[in-house]
Amino acid sequence: MNPSIPLTSGTDLVPSARQEGTAVIAAIRGEIDLHNSPELRTAMLDVLLRGDPKKLILNLDQVPYMDSSAVAVLVEALQKLRRVGGKVFLTNLQPRVKGLLEIARLDTIFIVVKDEAEALSK
Amino acid sequence: MAFGFVSGLSPFDPATPVNSPTAPPFRPIDPARRLELHLASHTVELSHARKAIEQFAASQGFDETAQAQIGLCVNEAMANVIRHAYSGVTGKPILVIAETPVAPGAVENEPGPVLKITVRDWGNGQNPAELPPKPYNPLEPGGVGLICLRGLMNEVTYTPQPDGMLLTMLKRK
Repeated sequence: MNPSIPLTSGTDLVPSARQEGTAVIAAIRGEIDLHNSPELRTAMLDVLLRGDPKKLILNLDQVPYMDSSAVAVLVEALQKLRRVGGKVFLTNLQPRVKGLLEIARLDTIFIVVKDEAEALSK
Repeated sequence: MAFGFVSGLSPFDPATPVNSPTAPPFRPIDPARRLELHLASHTVELSHARKAIEQFAASQGFDETAQAQIGLCVNEAMANVIRHAYSGVTGKPILVIAETPVAPGAVENEPGPVLKITVRDWGNGQNPAELPPKPYNPLEPGGVGLICLRGLMNEVTYTPQPDGMLLTMLKRK
């Protein structure tokens, strides 16, 4: 089993992030719109830079709402992972977030799984 | 942000048939069915406006799913105004009005309950509906806001104004 190495994000929007082998597991928290999505973007890019993962697992359990600017942050992360042959998993989607991803036709582009354990096992 | 349930003048007062030759063209709409938000072009206003509109939609009997869709669309419409119409300049006016002309026939060809939302800006007048069409690619940035509006609202109309833009969205129950 890989050791878990904490990664600090410097923002409450990403209250926890850790590295397990080539995977980075991060939790996102809060309602995210154009007001705070730039902060989320900075945090995500920082976590990706330091963790250099092949697998990014984002736990959205504490994200009751996001708008298209937050989706753009997720897509940017996905593009970065794809360039190195990596994958992005989204877990614990709340109904509003799920609805937005569906209408943006992104629900089949990200890998949506039940929880972190399922993402780690894939 | 200044907002509240206010009375106002509207051509959509259900008590007055729109095409009645004898009735005055405008009559005050029931204050309980109209919400007016006077906002500034700042991203901090997005969540305030979204929550106020969702609360209003709930008060008009729209279910939780519809409330979320309506709130998201107002969020996206306002974000477009802030980013594009005002090019990120803060402190510019945005007027959001929500109202429910509920009576059948209150809106021409409108058979039943409907929530009408207008978003008025005094920006550069760019009409998002007239941007060059390109196939939507989920992996390219941009376009999701307009996809939401068109996919979640029943009607979306941009009407250029001499000094900006008026977006009208209709959501039926």
